[in-house]
This record gives sequence, C-alpha cells and structure tokens, in this order.
Amino acid sequence: MSVFRGYERENGRIGTRNHVLIIPLDDLSNSASLAVENNVFGTRAIPHPYGRLQFGRDLDLTFKTLAGMGRNPNVASAVVIGIEDQWTQQIADSIAETGKRVETVSIEGNGDYKTIEKASRLARDMVRDASDKRRKEFDVSNLVVSTKCGESDTTSGLASNPTVGVVFDRLVDEGATVIFGETSELTGAESYVARKCATQELRDKFQKIFDDYQNDIVKEGADLLGSQPTKGNIKGGLSTIEEKAFGNIQKAGTKPILGVLDYAEEPKVKGLNYMNTSSAAAEAVTLFSAAGAVVHLFTTGQGNIVGNPIEPVIKTTANPNTARTMSEHIDLDISGLLRFEFDLKEAGNRLYNVMLKTASGTLTANEILKHHEFALTKLYISA
Amino acid sequence: MVSKFLVHAKDDYVGVATYDIKKGEEVDGIFLDNNQKSSLKAIEDISLGHKIALRDMKKGEKVIEYGEPVGQVTKDIKKGEHVHVHNIKTMRWQ
Repeated sequence: MSVFRGYERENGRIGTRNHVLIIPLDDLSNSASLAVENNVFGTRAIPHPYGRLQFGRDLDLTFKTLAGMGRNPNVASAVVIGIEDQWTQQIADSIAETGKRVETVSIEGNGDYKTIEKASRLARDMVRDASDKRRKEFDVSNLVVSTKCGESDTTSGLASNPTVGVVFDRLVDEGATVIFGETSELTGAESYVARKCATQELRDKFQKIFDDYQNDIVKEGADLLGSQPTKGNIKGGLSTIEEKAFGNIQKAGTKPILGVLDYAEEPKVKGLNYMNTSSAAAEAVTLFSAAGAVVHLFTTGQGNIVGNPIEPVIKTTANPNTARTMSEHIDLDISGLLRFEFDLKEAGNRLYNVMLKTASGTLTANEILKHHEFALTKLYISA
Repeated sequence: MVSKFLVHAKDDYVGVATYDIKKGEEVDGIFLDNNQKSSLKAIEDISLGHKIALRDMKKGEKVIEYGEPVGQVTKDIKKGEHVHVHNIKTMRWQ
C-alpha cells in the first residue's frame, strides 16, 4: 500500500495543500478579494463573473461550487466576502459543516477599504494557524483524484489517456476515490460507459444525464455531433466519433463505475466515479475541485495549460513536440512510450509516482506558473 | 524488424502508427495490454497517428479498436492497408 504526506482536516478528510481561501460571493466582491490575496501571503482568491441575480438550479450550482471550494480539504480555512451578508452566510454555513474555520465579511454599509482591512486581519491569523499544521503520512486510500484531457490528439488516446487509466485502476485497487467526467466527449462511447455502471440504478442515472445533455444541444440547434471528429482530428488520424470517445474514456481505467455524480457533487463511495461536467478544461477541473478532489491528472496532446486555485493539476503528454516546445507546463513527458522505450505499465508507474510526490507537496507546473483558473459552470441566463 | 505501431487491445483489428510507415515496409507493433508483438507488411503509406489494418475486413463489418466497435467498414480492407475515413465510417449516422 502506498502512502503520501498530507494535511488532516477537522472532519478527517486529507488535503494535499494548505491554502487559506478568499471567496468572493459575487462579481462585485472580486476587487476586495484580490486585495486581500495581495495583502496576505498564503491566501488564494477565486474571482469569478457571477453570483448576482441568478436563480434556481443555476444559483444553486454557483453556491455549491463556491462552498465546495471552501470545503475541499486542500483548504485550511476561508474568508467569504460578499455584498450582502445573508448570502455570504449561506456559503459560510456549508463550509463550517466540515469543522474548519470560516469567516464572512460584507461590503454593504462598509465599503471596500473597511472590508479589505477586516478580511486581511482575519486571513492573516488564518495563515499563521494554517502554517502551524504539519503534513503526516496517510494511506493513498484517503486521496480523491480527478482526471480530464485537453487539446487532445492521437497521442492522447494512444498513450497518455491509457496511462491515466493504469493509475486510476491502481488507485481503485488501493481504495482511493477517482473521478472522470466530460459528458459531451463520451458521445460515441456512452453505451460502453453505461455498461461500466455497477448497477441498473447508476446506469439509468448516467443515461438521464447523457440524454439531457443531448437534448440541450438539440434545443440550441447546434450540431456538435455532425462536426465530430473535427478536421484536425481527422488529419491526425481519428476516423469516427466512436474512436475519439474511446480514446478519451481510456482515462477512466477498467474498473466498474460505483458513483454517478451531478455537477460538483461530493463522491459518496470510493472507487471509480463519473461526474457530469462540461468538457471545457477550466470548468471541469473547477467542478472536480469543488467536489473535493485533491490531485488532478491532466493529459494533453497539443498542450492545454489549465490549472486550478486549490487542486494541483499534474500535466502529462505523450506528444514529444509539446513536451519540448511547452516544457514549462509539463510535469511528466511519457513520449518514450511511443518510441517503445518503456511500456504502458512503466508509464503508469511514473505518473503514479509523480502523483504521490505532488500529493506530498511537490509543486506542479500549474502552481509554479500561477495558473489558477476558476471557472463556474453556468446553466442558463441570469434574471 | 522495427517497431512502428501500437495496438490498444489484444483483439483489435487495427494498430496505430507511432512513426511514419512506408509502403512495402515490414513493421511490427506492440500490444499495449500484454506487450506481445504483431508483424506485418504495410501495403500503403501510413502516417504517424493513423491506423493500419491488422487483418482483412469485409464491407459492412465492424472495426474493433480499444476492444470495442469504433466504426463500420465501407469497402473491403486488406491487411496492411491504411484504415481511415475513406474505408470506415461512424455507426451513428447513415
């Protein structure tokens, strides 16, 4: 059984990072949040363009995502800043369920200057307390690991995605929780994914998510299906949408799906989980991090450079050109697999080891390059 | 013989070139799932990232890759031929 060195949180969950998070409830609070981040070492703000006049499921998802970021075990404590205090309190209450410290500051009646000072003083104390925490050794079964691919090419389906699949299988065998998503990219392999679901109930749940997505596309009059695979895909050698989808789904590995999750929903069971997500990189990784994932395995062909504010994103590529021309973004080059220098099992070992080191504190390229993309998934228009 | 292609799963009908393969070249490929080798002669040029037929396929047959059907054969394919949009298509739309 493998181990890593992580931070134990009040609710027993284990984080791989120790951030103090500054959460703006709405777009109007971005400015103050960024000022606090600038004032206080060790804090991270997550500015975003929404949070006002949203309603229904769309509002719920924004709140669930903001609260989820605070609940994530990679976060030691959080300050929520909002224009109106009753809304900020809702986010804070959800975060407080985890037992970690959370404070709210509201701008209305105070203005930015007083808000920034109050929030900065709170964050200063939180950072000092967070820095007092020490990493301890934990079994990998405590990890929640997510995956996503971006700017894929034929090297993704051939090498980097199967490599993640090997790591996911091993993590499941060792009792960890792993999550994949990308509903749109499953088109062509959806019946295979449905077959992978462990029970009929999960299968029905997955099928409903998939059908709802297809209906949304039809409703908008878009033809995402007819345009797949893209011209670039075809030039690269992909012939059918099925082939593209199977290349993508290699990341999920060979284990049965034990959980089917809605956007940003925290997994309830260990093992392989599917989450409904967009296939846009920043949106998907944001949803995974809001669901509590603490390490992300990202494969890229042509070179997607996405990061996340709290979940380290490990980037691997099997495209030797990308590994060379975009080396500052790549954590692991596995192009040797395509040159027959090592086999799939060895590629999996290498990625697994990078994951363990990252979980124990080694910084990823996205962290060093300050790629902190935070992208809310919007379900429909605001009022 | 030089290894120039990879095969995803042991019962697949196609391999994927990891180097450009020339017409007439004798090449072998490695199965990702069990590291076994398969040798054949390319009867067409196959570019990196493109598929090579590991067996003859009849029109109407399903093409197996990743151990799963990924398309339908639209005209007979010979072992060693280039497999792409000119001789296979999706099974989703007619």
